[in-house]
Amino acid sequence: MSASMHDGAEPNLTPMLDMVFQLVTFFMLVINFKGAAMDLSLKLPVLGSARPLDTKGKEDVIVLNIDQEGHLNVYGKQQDVRQYITKEARLSAMNATSRNAAFKSGDELPTMVVVRADKATPFKLLNEVIDTCRKNNFRKFSLKVVNREERR
Amino acid sequence: MRRKRKKRDSESVELNLAAMLDMAFQLLTFFILTFRPAPIEGQLVLQLPPPLPVTDVETQQQEQTGSGGGEAGLKSLIITVDADSGGNVSSLKVGFGMLFKGPANESNLHKLDQRLRDAFTLYAGSFEQVLIRAAPALHYGELMRIVDVCMQQKLADGTNLQKVSFAELAE
Repeated sequence: MSASMHDGAEPNLTPMLDMVFQLVTFFMLVINFKGAAMDLSLKLPVLGSARPLDTKGKEDVIVLNIDQEGHLNVYGKQQDVRQYITKEARLSAMNATSRNAAFKSGDELPTMVVVRADKATPFKLLNEVIDTCRKNNFRKFSLKVVNREERR
Repeated sequence: MRRKRKKRDSESVELNLAAMLDMAFQLLTFFILTFRPAPIEGQLVLQLPPPLPVTDVETQQQEQTGSGGGEAGLKSLIITVDADSGGNVSSLKVGFGMLFKGPANESNLHKLDQRLRDAFTLYAGSFEQVLIRAAPALHYGELMRIVDVCMQQKLADGTNLQKVSFAELAE
């Protein structure tokens, strides 16, 4: 009796630990840091024909989240459109100069501007943002849409 | 001496897995709580020309449709889109001709597709880009439906049209 009292019934934790590590590994692999740049509260336009285009990470991008009032949100913070785009253009020009010595000020910037605008954003506000980008020598634009209406 | 060694061999070393399991569960909780799968987004890639000051839109339109000059020296096909107070398309012109009045529904977008296809095949090489002149109130979602139709057009060299630029109509 006294011997059985001392023998503690210890569960074998090894399979549980294995399973938990597998789950941790799964979540670590699927975590998406790019998603932080996206404002998921925006309702993007729906176009059935739009397909994702993979640039294989070779292209520099800046993501502009534009809400219905034309405000620019970057990583959850509201930014002044002109200041932000001018700063990004300067950085992109510096990168381009370091990669290609022949790059001159005023040349087309290699960075792609990803526009994520709410579908109810008036054209006037959107066009102001696009014009500011064009004045800062951004030429490549990617307009984001979704294939089907999201359920929230 | 011999006896001692025997005793040490029989003692099994047991790791305390509980602490490691606690830590693993904490990591798991963190990843589960922060897990938010990114939505699958499509994109339309555009190559916009550098901005040029526009003094007279009507003159520019005549220049662009007539002599093939215009913005950044590209021959442009001009689409004029008007909007109602709700930001929806109310009418659409291709060049100077009215294509439709009313919303950008399936049948009207099909008409637009047909007209653009005709323009890009019958006058192959006449146009290098599409210039969309839109009303300030037009919603981005509505504009994208028109851009989408434009992007499906093929140029004379067989490549898809990528050069689409925008201008704002006077209020």
